[in-house]
Amino acid sequence: MAIIVNVDVMMAKRKMSLNELSEKVGLTLANLSILKTGKAKAIRFSTLEAICKVLDCQPGDILEYTEDK
Amino acid sequence: MKTQTERILMVMNILTWVVFIGLAIQAGAILVSYGVSIVNPAASKHLYKEIDLSSLKQFGFWHYTLIVSFMVAMAALKSYVAYLVIKVLSEIKMVNPFTMEIARMLERISYFIFGVWIITLFYDLHIAWLAKQEVGMKENYNSGEFIFLAGVVYVISQIFKKGVEIQSENELTV
Repeated sequence: MAIIVNVDVMMAKRKMSLNELSEKVGLTLANLSILKTGKAKAIRFSTLEAICKVLDCQPGDILEYTEDK
Repeated sequence: MKTQTERILMVMNILTWVVFIGLAIQAGAILVSYGVSIVNPAASKHLYKEIDLSSLKQFGFWHYTLIVSFMVAMAALKSYVAYLVIKVLSEIKMVNPFTMEIARMLERISYFIFGVWIITLFYDLHIAWLAKQEVGMKENYNSGEFIFLAGVVYVISQIFKKGVEIQSENELTV
């Protein structure tokens, strides 16, 4: 997909584990894993907002657009 | 506890089994009685369910064979459609009924009903031609029902497919 999810990069920058993010965002580990591995087909604004709040970043830091080959 | 839908589907499953077995027996019986009629010409008067094709056999053996082949093919294809319905009914899970497998099976059912329509169409055309030759065959058009049925099942399968896509999208929305 043309949209790349960079949650793992931001997590590394903030030195936050998947479990910790899951607890703070209120998302299950399974759903967070779907997001992290790029399998997600959509993300709710509320989820994006919560992730940005916890990781102290902008949506653009998490999502990136690249041309499909 | 079973819901009403589950109970209805269970009854439908049993009924489809009956239809499947009935149609399979019909195909086999026509084929066997045809085989017997080759050896014993009198048997062509009493084919499956007393179908009398003796005048047609006298008119032409290949016409007789073609008509019997159409009858066997129709019964066999209908029986396969019934088998596919049994497969759908036994594989569908009420907890998660929208799966791509079921959608594909529904699509396949519509293709096979379309196949039945093609055979029935040729059968009807042949019967119509035979009726003009005054062989004692009556025109009886019934192919139209199958193309209508195939269309309806195809539309349902496409809606089902869209449902599966929406469900998988919902599951992958975080």
